[in-house]
Amino acid sequence: MDSLRHEKIQKFEEFVDRRLKPDLVHAIAERDKIFDQQKIFSDLRKNIENLEKNSVTSLRTLVNLGSEVYMQAEVPDTQRIFVDVGLGFHVEFTWSEALKFISLREEKLERQIEEYTRLIASIKAQIKLVCEGIRELLQIPEEKTVEGRVF
Amino acid sequence: MGKSEVKGTVTSLSSMFPAEETQKAAKMVEEKLSEKQNEMNQLKEFIADNTSLINLVQKLPDELHHDIMVPFGKAAFFPGRLIHTNEFLVLLGESYYTERTAKQTVEILKRRGKSLESKVDALKAVMQDLKAEASFFDSTASEAAEGLVEIREYEEDNSTKWASQSGSLELETPSVAEADNKMGASEDDDYARIMSRLEELEKEELAAEDNEENLEDEDEDANAVESDSNEDELTKAAEGDGDEDELTKPAFHRKKDEGYSYLDHGQRYSESPRKQLQQFNDKEPIEEMSNKYKHQDLTNQFASTGLTEEPVTKGEISHGRIIQEDTKTLSPSINASAPFEKKSVQTSKSEFDSSKAFTGSIVEHTQNLDKSSVGTNTTSLQSSGSQPSKPVSRFKMQRK
Repeated sequence: MDSLRHEKIQKFEEFVDRRLKPDLVHAIAERDKIFDQQKIFSDLRKNIENLEKNSVTSLRTLVNLGSEVYMQAEVPDTQRIFVDVGLGFHVEFTWSEALKFISLREEKLERQIEEYTRLIASIKAQIKLVCEGIRELLQIPEEKTVEGRVF
Repeated sequence: MGKSEVKGTVTSLSSMFPAEETQKAAKMVEEKLSEKQNEMNQLKEFIADNTSLINLVQKLPDELHHDIMVPFGKAAFFPGRLIHTNEFLVLLGESYYTERTAKQTVEILKRRGKSLESKVDALKAVMQDLKAEASFFDSTASEAAEGLVEIREYEEDNSTKWASQSGSLELETPSVAEADNKMGASEDDDYARIMSRLEELEKEELAAEDNEENLEDEDEDANAVESDSNEDELTKAAEGDGDEDELTKPAFHRKKDEGYSYLDHGQRYSESPRKQLQQFNDKEPIEEMSNKYKHQDLTNQFASTGLTEEPVTKGEISHGRIIQEDTKTLSPSINASAPFEKKSVQTSKSEFDSSKAFTGSIVEHTQNLDKSSVGTNTTSLQSSGSQPSKPVSRFKMQRK
């Protein structure tokens, strides 16, 4: 009986440590990635809006060649912009098209973030549940004072 | 020493290094090693990037302009071209940039590459060490698993004993030393004891000096009320004597107060030696009693002169002190009489009117009237009795 309980407790603990916690870490990492994407697209939107506002037709900028070495670059025509649509594809847009795409993209990212947040919450709840189970296995049969415990 | 006989111990390696522990250690080292390996890979990547960048920078000025996609943020590009292909803006660090030509940029990049190489070399050395460690742990683990035993042999001889029994050396030392050279051992012992004692006293002295600094301000104020409080303090001192080592704060304070009186005492010597002598003659009979405290009195006087430098102007102090020293060397009996002088000085102190105290009589202060009028005998005994409770004096004297 006692050994059985110990086995169970060990199984539960392993489940928390090997399964739930890595899942949680992974989910949080994924959500952070999406946060980054969201930031990239909101920046892009701001930049395009800025270009529109100032009606910029040509652009001079610095290009990073790697290792913080920069070279000047010239954009003769800013009307056409190539935006990353995922999977390595870039689509040629005009400004208005690009803005439309960006708003759609942002919506999607928002939904993804919400999804991940929910997932994270559920994993956390599961961890708590299993921990409570372990606690019950350990404490209730041995001492009856557990009921009075407040978490 | 008897004949040297071989002794030894046999310990199984697994008892010293349990297999689990060795495995754990080996695992830790492995982890560290893989960490370093990752670092190494990263560095190698950097180096590869650097070399490709050097190639790129060397090639770029060949053409006047290159058609590229100019990145606009992280997710968008504009079609455009590179211009001014011989002008590079290079980061120097700390967000300082400099404009360089292709050649200069290549030089910078090569220097960066060199520093990366040296980093790789350092990392390689570290990894080599870790590998050696890991192999050692592994071999130890396997040996322990095989049931290898370690045999330690040592001869019951003084020289080998030292070498082979390093573990229990400390316990062994006295007996060995005793056997070897009894005199030397005891001498060493004594020496060590004396040194530790000296250190202890030094510490106490330092602590006392700290206290002194703290108390100096207080003493200025204390001056005014001293004549009142000294009476009590003296009796207290008489009760709490004999504790030479214990330098508690109150004891020190007491001493300070007495120090003042001694200073005044010194002044007295300087101002009216004749009267002093006269007084001294009056107290001839008591001298014998206080003579046995002579040593303490003498040293205390010096201690107190050392302590009383603050409240009075410098000239007076040095003057007083010199004369005190003179009295010490010339006529110890005068020093022996110091305790009585103190009484009178204390009485005169609150007014700082030394002339009052030199009228030849000890009775000066109304508050002290009753006690002093009883006779110098009691007070002198009290004060001389209190002397041993001044612990630092010996060392103060040494300093001079």
